[in-house]
Amino acid sequence: MVVSSRLADRAVNDAWARRLLSHLPVPSGELEAVQVRGREALIRQSLPSRRQEDWRFTDLTPLKALDPLSLNPLTAAVGSSLPSAGWPAPAPGSLRLWLDGRSDPLAGQTLPPGLSRLSSDDLHQALGRSLAGCDCEQHWPVELNQATVSHCLALRVSGVIAETLELVCVADAQHTLRPVRVLLLLEEKASLEVLQVQLGSGASLSSLVVEAQLGRQAHLLHGLLALGEAEACFLGHLAVEQASESRFRSVMASRGWALSRFEPRITQRDGAAHTELKALQLAERDQLADTHSQVRFLGPDGALEQLHKAIAADQGHSVFNGAVAVPRQAQRTNANQLSRNLLLSDQARIDTKPQLEIVADDVRCTHGATVSRLQADQLFYLQSRGIDAATASRLLRRGFCQEVLRDFPAAAAVWNPLQRLMVEA
Amino acid sequence: MSTTSTVSDLVSKPYQYGFVTDIETEKIDKGLSEDVVRLISAKKNEPAFLLAFRLKAFRQWLRMEEPQWAAVNHPEIDYQNIIYYAAPKQQEKKASLDEVDPKLLETFEKLGIPLSEQKRLSNVAVDAVFDSVSIATTYREKLAEHGVVFCSISEAVKDHPELIERYLGSVVPASDNYFTALNSAVFSDGSFVFIPKGVECPMELSTYFRINSGDTGQFERTLIIAEEGASVSYLEGCTAPMFDTNQLHAAVVELVALDDASIKYSTVQNWYAGDESGKGGIYNFVTKRGHCRGDRSKISWTQVETGSAITWKYPSCVLQGADSVGEFYSVALTNNRQQADTGTKMIHVGPRTRSTIVSKGISAGHSSNSYRGLVQIGPKAVGAKNYSQCDSMLIGDQAAANTYPYIRSQQPESTVEHEASTCRISADQLFYLQSRGIGFEEAVSMMVSGFCRDVFNQLPMEFAAEADKLLALKLEGSVG
Repeated sequence: MVVSSRLADRAVNDAWARRLLSHLPVPSGELEAVQVRGREALIRQSLPSRRQEDWRFTDLTPLKALDPLSLNPLTAAVGSSLPSAGWPAPAPGSLRLWLDGRSDPLAGQTLPPGLSRLSSDDLHQALGRSLAGCDCEQHWPVELNQATVSHCLALRVSGVIAETLELVCVADAQHTLRPVRVLLLLEEKASLEVLQVQLGSGASLSSLVVEAQLGRQAHLLHGLLALGEAEACFLGHLAVEQASESRFRSVMASRGWALSRFEPRITQRDGAAHTELKALQLAERDQLADTHSQVRFLGPDGALEQLHKAIAADQGHSVFNGAVAVPRQAQRTNANQLSRNLLLSDQARIDTKPQLEIVADDVRCTHGATVSRLQADQLFYLQSRGIDAATASRLLRRGFCQEVLRDFPAAAAVWNPLQRLMVEA
Repeated sequence: MSTTSTVSDLVSKPYQYGFVTDIETEKIDKGLSEDVVRLISAKKNEPAFLLAFRLKAFRQWLRMEEPQWAAVNHPEIDYQNIIYYAAPKQQEKKASLDEVDPKLLETFEKLGIPLSEQKRLSNVAVDAVFDSVSIATTYREKLAEHGVVFCSISEAVKDHPELIERYLGSVVPASDNYFTALNSAVFSDGSFVFIPKGVECPMELSTYFRINSGDTGQFERTLIIAEEGASVSYLEGCTAPMFDTNQLHAAVVELVALDDASIKYSTVQNWYAGDESGKGGIYNFVTKRGHCRGDRSKISWTQVETGSAITWKYPSCVLQGADSVGEFYSVALTNNRQQADTGTKMIHVGPRTRSTIVSKGISAGHSSNSYRGLVQIGPKAVGAKNYSQCDSMLIGDQAAANTYPYIRSQQPESTVEHEASTCRISADQLFYLQSRGIGFEEAVSMMVSGFCRDVFNQLPMEFAAEADKLLALKLEGSVG
């Protein structure tokens, strides 16, 4: 009986991928090889199931509810609704590019000095390297992206870039499949701030794969503001390889997706680098917000500061899995991870699981997790100073969000992240 | 001075329980089938309901798969190459200890478990289990005066079948997992404790498990029931001889606490861990679960895990009664090639339930030590609280310390706090102690016992001292 239900599950899952593949255009263009590889993988693998440890808490029903036959990566060119559709103007000093996964966002754009388009040869040499380096090139969401994406924004960064690169992707038409792929190569001492804005609505699927390679002493700040609506689903993958003395900071905030799964995977190739991961995810109504992060230290003296915050309200379900791997060569690693969760309704659910795997002995690794509603003593403290209960609660929720949001690149202000992420009581 | 010599005494001793007692044993043939299950049941003259329980479990087991999720590796276990029943040839349990085979008594003397009551000074009643059967239970009369039943589970089946039928499998159903199904089908013996309403058990109860045969699996079953307002403290110890082959130990322990009852369950597990290269040792795949059924009941697990080639064990509490309390205090030490995947589950069901988890993992040599725990706050657990702390200490750069704490909360009016850290024996602390004239080994042993103090404090007195010594012994030569 168990066996037969497993087979039935598998059949349904396989059917989803097969139906999706059945109507995709023949592989072509600069990413033809990538598409072929992705499609072969989707035929081989079935959709992740909750029997896999990595997907144990992640119910893919919203994704399966999207009709694969009508999901089309070619519908609704971004240009049609842009830029007149009331999008906020880019912040001064930021360069906005619209990504749709198939046309070239750099067409007609002038890149600031230090930022250049990767040649086709370089692109093919570098593409997929960080995915392999972070051990996730065969993950289902990555293969889905590879199977469907036809353009990759590939940039070389060879200096300190003052402008913030703002990458906006909108999946706002029904039945849109919007795969976006980005590759960033930061040379030694290069520095870049990127803000990615992912907007989704309707029965759409946004798929994002970002690869970044940081040279020595390079610095990358990656902000991801992922805002969805209704049945929209989001699968985001970040694969970052860091050379020594580099600094990578990721700030992520998400809200509103029927299903969102964000997987930042960072590998410190020689250790001695600094990684900072901050995230805030909201799960309301019957949404599922999931973050699975993985940080690996392959050399000594690495550092990690990770703060993951989640708010679950209504019947929302928030999932966090934070893996940290400290193998034998990663002596003197200093890794700190904290998962803080606000549970605002008795039908909401929080699953959090820090995961430390340590072999080196001279390390300092800590992790902590808390799940509760707003602290009664904090509310009392504010009320005792004459602030009414509603304002006090609002203040505390605001503080909870701000601890993450304040680290976004300044250019994010035009999108009003705080306003978009504050939960009303 | 005296302590220094104690430590070096200890360090010079290898696994001291590794001897084999040469005693005539009745074994059945290797292998497992429905006939074997029937044979075990028939050998024990069991009532029909128990045979039905076993057969149902066996059929479930056939359909199940061995769990793969734990962070442990071992060659595939051939379940047909195990003897499922072995007993010293002495079928009738003797009325007096004088009739017990002196060789058996000697074995337990050697293990430091004197069974003869007159020699026994401390106030502890012991049930000794040798391979598949219980040999002797001490202090039974004194306990009976208070209405406490403490006997082997086989005797309980005969004398109190109604309690067995009511409670066996009620906390850990046979189908709970692969190993519980196996245990439920073939369990041979174990301890049974029943504390009637309002009784505080007058002495500590203890069971001592000993595997003697090389090709036998041990599948014991422990059932402890504390009625309303009752309380009991129970200790469990285990050793096995050294064999080059791996032996399977798949036990099930069930605790039931009714209103205001309290059960304290302490384990010092020192099964043979295999040699330095990882040859031999016990596969310790144990399911332990306590059910706080009544309001204000309390179940506390304390474990010191130092033995076994592989430990797969998650003593858990289902906190159903309002205001019930669950506790888990654990020290798990692995050395050489040992693997441990251990932790606890605290399932908060009732309102205002509270739980505390303190786990200390020490990994040395090439071993791997994982903490895996679940804290689950159900939708009705209004006002529930959990605090977990899991610390790891690494000795040497070849050992692995993993932490997998699962936290799930569905109740906003509850608080879950979890913290964890990893450290090592730091050179400056060692230097500080050595500069004050404390020897190297002793300094290490002091630091380890300091690291474990929160847990040792929970152990009954004589166990705490033993546990401390055990750790020092196990860490021999692994620092430096």
